[in-house]
Amino acid sequence: MAAAGRGIFFDGATSARHPVLVELSADGLVMRDAEERVMLARWPYNELDHLAAPEGLLRLGRAGAARTARLEVREPALIAAIDDASVPVDRSGAAERRGRLRVVAWSVVATAVLLAAAIFGVPALADKIAPLVPLRAERWLGEAVDTQARKMLDKSDASRPFACGDQEGLAALATLIGKLEAAAALPIPLDTKIVRRSEPNAVALPGGHIYVFEGLIDKSQTPDELAGVIAHEIGHVAHRDGTRSIIQSAGLSFLFGMLLGDFVGGGAVVIGARAVLQSSYSRDVEGAADRYGADLLNRAGGDVRAFGAILDRIAGAIHPGVEILRDHPDTKARVAVINSLASPGEPAQPLLEPNEWRALKRICTAR
Amino acid sequence: MNDANPFEAPPVDAPVPPPNGTRLLGNERTFWGLLIRGAFLLLVTLGIYRFWLATDVRRFLWSNTEIAGDGLEYIGTARELLLGFLIAIALLVPLNVAFFLSAFGRGWLSQISGFLALIVLALLGQFAVYRARRYRLTRTVYRGIRFHQTGSAWRYAVCAIFWWAMIGMTLGLAYPFAQASLERFKLRNTWYGDLQGHFAGSGMRLFFRGVLFWLVVIGPLTLGLFIALGQIDWTALGRGSGDMMSRVEAAGVAPALVFAVLSVGWSVLAVAVLYPAFQAMVLRWWIAGLRFGALGVASHLRTRAVYAIYLRFMWIALVAGIVFATGVAIALAITGLLALWLGKGVLTELLSTALLIGSYVIVALAYSTIYQATVKLRLWKAGFESIELSGREALDRVNASGAAGSAVGEGLADALNVGGI
Repeated sequence: MAAAGRGIFFDGATSARHPVLVELSADGLVMRDAEERVMLARWPYNELDHLAAPEGLLRLGRAGAARTARLEVREPALIAAIDDASVPVDRSGAAERRGRLRVVAWSVVATAVLLAAAIFGVPALADKIAPLVPLRAERWLGEAVDTQARKMLDKSDASRPFACGDQEGLAALATLIGKLEAAAALPIPLDTKIVRRSEPNAVALPGGHIYVFEGLIDKSQTPDELAGVIAHEIGHVAHRDGTRSIIQSAGLSFLFGMLLGDFVGGGAVVIGARAVLQSSYSRDVEGAADRYGADLLNRAGGDVRAFGAILDRIAGAIHPGVEILRDHPDTKARVAVINSLASPGEPAQPLLEPNEWRALKRICTAR
Repeated sequence: MNDANPFEAPPVDAPVPPPNGTRLLGNERTFWGLLIRGAFLLLVTLGIYRFWLATDVRRFLWSNTEIAGDGLEYIGTARELLLGFLIAIALLVPLNVAFFLSAFGRGWLSQISGFLALIVLALLGQFAVYRARRYRLTRTVYRGIRFHQTGSAWRYAVCAIFWWAMIGMTLGLAYPFAQASLERFKLRNTWYGDLQGHFAGSGMRLFFRGVLFWLVVIGPLTLGLFIALGQIDWTALGRGSGDMMSRVEAAGVAPALVFAVLSVGWSVLAVAVLYPAFQAMVLRWWIAGLRFGALGVASHLRTRAVYAIYLRFMWIALVAGIVFATGVAIALAITGLLALWLGKGVLTELLSTALLIGSYVIVALAYSTIYQATVKLRLWKAGFESIELSGREALDRVNASGAAGSAVGEGLADALNVGGI
């Protein structure tokens, strides 16, 4: 074991290189000027800091020191002696590997926690927060989303305005909506419009805006069928699903966009995970709206089986695509759930008189 | 006799004068190992490991870089980077929420909120770039003394945004002047202890060296697109008779489209062929402009050397491409088998989606690793080894100065995706 050797010392105050004699004394390393033998520094063994250096060089600093003083040693015998004498100096790298392993383990745990937060935490949080959003804020949000949605949906020109409606048709619509709204007792008023889009569909936006597409009116055979779909949309309004989905998507953006995924190729993970998670949230929400719609129809005196029938007709024809990316549950399952909620006994009388229903069917073609 | 023995190190108390150059030591295999392990851990931790990988890469590059006989040292830690990132996130979340809400509002604020967000985030990005540079400099130690950086990061951000706008408006012609101006600002505020840096490169010189590249790449593109737009008869397209297709035909869109595609194709090809030469030229100009007090730098970087680096990368990338194509084919076959074996269902879909996304991420990570281990390392090496120092004595009498800067800037740069790490 070499008790002394040569090295280069930088004192951390100037950039001068000091060739030094390094002695391994009982309590630490002693650096003396190679020529004048003046002591330049004494570093205790347990305060040595083993620093990054190229192969064949041992670079030491003093842990916790304000100055970045350095000792560089190239003599293999001296390096080995310092390694033996000092605990922090560890050329085998075992301590470093242990530390690294701990980091990896914690990172994996953190990843698992974040994924769990995305799958369970975000929808739970959105459920808790959505009812707390003041109604004024939701209506304000609704106005903004409504403007955006109109821009996307509206393909009309001057001769055919976006919203349909002659006097009789609008009166019939108001009757139908009035019956449903009275039964629903919502905290915010509904704003329902029939719009010129050929798809058999309807959408609900935050703030009570409901757009029923012309295509849905065409496909409806009875007033109760139409009422069923509208009741489902009212379910979205009652559950405040628009606000909820905004909170969910903001939560997912935060988790995936900011905390995770910022590495090469990570974008694909983010997009894939978001699509799958958002579809799964959406399936839950749609199921809840179906149950609400069936319940509302019962209360308003409508025929729940008609709701099941129109759903089967308009959604059943669509060939199921990729299951995990569907934002609605399987149609057969939906229809089964809805029909199970139908009140037993005689089908009630239709929600609209035949002449009212005729006016509503004509609402987009009149004049 | 003694002098001839290469195995005996010269005695330290009579040191040989350090060389006038800089060089990169270190085993490339070690670097590959570090990057491959890092890529695997990035995958497993969905990116959280990036702070540790970045620190490892910097430690390797810094400590193997030798300037005038002494090595650089990187003293930053991954923990600092992680903490800086978390603080940056805490700062950015309220900002993002504010932008989100203002976009939904009514009135003038919502009208301009998108534009406002763009400006604020661009400024913040450049701010972060400058602060991140400060972090890296204050974590760089040479001969027991750290570097540091002064100067207002906001001022830098405003200047940088101004210059990028100029570059955009002049179709790239302002690039040399932007580089010179921003490098002057950065180097003037860069200190090795009490030794102040400055940048001696001239924008005009870079302009004259680079204008040929511009003429070959951007010139035909601009001209081609201009002619293409001029060929279209806009009134015929807008108010002509007949259906859309016949109007498109009458307006002469098809020949214009051919023209546009040809000029874009030419530019893409020219960029692919000329990029290494351009990079070598800018790198040479930049290195030769660096000054620290009386210390001067000259660069003998050869354009040929940069081409060799890229050709080697392409060769390795090609071999890797064949390997990965086989791997992806196997992954697809497994997906098919899964569908047969488990039948159609949610589980099969989840598994095959995970398999496909997984293979995409693996391939992307692998290419990034190959790029770093070949192009990045070799460029660093070629750049440093092309250097010849003059006035090296300036490095011998430097006093320590400046304190360690925080890592929040790096975290911000990371969170804003402006190349913090």
